[in-house]
Amino acid sequence: MSKITNRIAVLAVAGALISGSALADTVKIGMNVPLTGFAAADGKSALLGAELAIEQANAEGGINGTQIELIQYDDLASPKEAVPIANRLISQDEVVVAISGSYSGSTRAAAGVFQSEGVPYVSAYAVHPDITKSGDYVFRTSFVGEVQGRAGAKLIGEMLGKKRVVVITLQNDFGQSLAAGFKEKAADYGIEIVSEYEYSIKDRQFGPIVTKVKADQPDAIYASGYFFTAGPLVNQLRSAGIDVPVIGQEGYDSDKFIEIAGPTSEGVLITTSLDRDSTVAETHDFIQAFEKKAGYNADMVAASGHTAAKVVIEAMRKAGTTDRAAIRDAIAQTNLVASTGTISFNGLGEVKKDVQVQIVKDGAWHHYAVIDDKDLLAPPEE
Amino acid sequence: MLYVELLAQGLVQGSIYALVAVGLTLVYGLLRILHVAHAGLFTLGGYVGVLVTNATGSLLLALLVAMVTVGIVGMAIYRLCYQPILDKPPYVALIASIGLFIAMEEVYRLVFGPYGISFENPPLQDVVQMFGVTLRLGEVATAAGTLLLVGALAVFSGKTRFGTAWRATVTDPDMAESFGIDIIKVRYLNFFIGSAFAASAGVMVALLNNMVEPTMGSVPSYKALAIIVLGGLGDVRGTLLAALALGVIEAFGTIYLGKFLDRDAIAFAFLILVLMVRPQGLFGRA
Repeated sequence: MSKITNRIAVLAVAGALISGSALADTVKIGMNVPLTGFAAADGKSALLGAELAIEQANAEGGINGTQIELIQYDDLASPKEAVPIANRLISQDEVVVAISGSYSGSTRAAAGVFQSEGVPYVSAYAVHPDITKSGDYVFRTSFVGEVQGRAGAKLIGEMLGKKRVVVITLQNDFGQSLAAGFKEKAADYGIEIVSEYEYSIKDRQFGPIVTKVKADQPDAIYASGYFFTAGPLVNQLRSAGIDVPVIGQEGYDSDKFIEIAGPTSEGVLITTSLDRDSTVAETHDFIQAFEKKAGYNADMVAASGHTAAKVVIEAMRKAGTTDRAAIRDAIAQTNLVASTGTISFNGLGEVKKDVQVQIVKDGAWHHYAVIDDKDLLAPPEE
Repeated sequence: MLYVELLAQGLVQGSIYALVAVGLTLVYGLLRILHVAHAGLFTLGGYVGVLVTNATGSLLLALLVAMVTVGIVGMAIYRLCYQPILDKPPYVALIASIGLFIAMEEVYRLVFGPYGISFENPPLQDVVQMFGVTLRLGEVATAAGTLLLVGALAVFSGKTRFGTAWRATVTDPDMAESFGIDIIKVRYLNFFIGSAFAASAGVMVALLNNMVEPTMGSVPSYKALAIIVLGGLGDVRGTLLAALALGVIEAFGTIYLGKFLDRDAIAFAFLILVLMVRPQGLFGRA
């Protein structure tokens, strides 16, 4: 009896070794993510989010029994770093799929490489429209700026009923695509744009703009930016006695925004992808698990990193193979409940999901509303 | 009234530029080094200011601690980084300085985290009305603090023996040394004062933005260079005036040219225009 069990055990071990050498030990997912430089804070959240998704998947047995390994490189959010990283991930590390936890410049540069080598590539939160235009292997789990800008117009003109609006725009692809979407739909909701200002991503002092906005006397302010520009901006607007609603977007979506703007952040509204008060189990569990892993509260970038990783994991499970074309097809068919909502992709690889409106209340982000107008939120098809 | 408010905003911004650029022009005047890492000291000042304020609740104490610590770090940079390469061509010191600046940014990121830090209870946030202009108390304090520090510097360099020795060394180091002036001591003092001024600017920016981040010095690192060129390299009075002028031009430019040019582009367009007419700088002698 014991001999037989021994033999079975030996056979099992040998079998495992053979299959181990025939297949890879692990399935590799590549990731370019800024871990140093100006975007390092977002990079850290995105990476931790992706790591969490992979740990959760590995605990459930990985991809049909094979463990998943994440291989990440620091791209400094720079296009010239991202291209060699994409090449290394493909030829040296031989990743099956890749995700981007980085900004638009680097993601757009890397997307071309992944597309030409036929490696599926999912961008977590980069917003530039050209990213998905790289080809059919490139997908995005976040809104393009235009979609979120349109949601902002509905929020201000219809839901808040404010008509005289000042637009303050961050001078980069993120800010400009938001402004474009906002202006496209502003008239439909009866919004009159009183005046428009632009600022650079390096600006933290907005004294002159604040002074002029005060003279403009708007009903609401639509200001694009990231928490590190929006925090000082909101603080300076409020300090100057401007108390009309300020509407931002997912770039504000961090506890750091509330910390920087302090009590002046109260009442600020944003359009984003993460609902802190969500009753959906997936989102709720993600928020708790992320806080446990990271030691700080989840933000939009973290949820997006988690979502992007989850999309590729689910696609690999469904495809049941490491064939990249099959995985690409499986990603295109995605219909997944993720921490950023129920998502699917259109023909261009752009995400379809609802926009979450969050508000700062008692020093924390909370649910305000959901915008689920399919026509308004339709991502570009080409 | 809008114009007066914009002017006031420009002068506040200009004060900060002035405090950073004075140190840079002092180092250039004395050693002919473009001290890019100076902007890293500005950032360090911001960090020390926020940390000490959060720990003790006193902004004034934090300002003093920041100025003294950063002043000492500035002296250490002279001793460890510049002194060993003083006899090399100027570009060697410039490259060392740029390298040091990048290293400093990354050290701040590793030590203080990538997200930046903020005041727990931001001081001087109240609003005051003066001559029909609305300013935050922090902005008033910034302008007043700059006036005070620059005034003290003027008195020190004009009325004290050490100040005389300092000016003599800047004018002609060899001659000063032959008169028995300890030029090494002068260099340390030079770095201490310049760095302490940058630290004070860092604390004030921290106050105005309620945020200090590792890359806070990246804009001042090159804009201060533009300012000292505008002011006539090594000329303290010229640098102060150039800093204020630039602050005001940026304030109006942001509103009326912001659609075409960002803040930095306005600053450099102004620099190019001035240099075309006056290659020696706004206030430099030909």
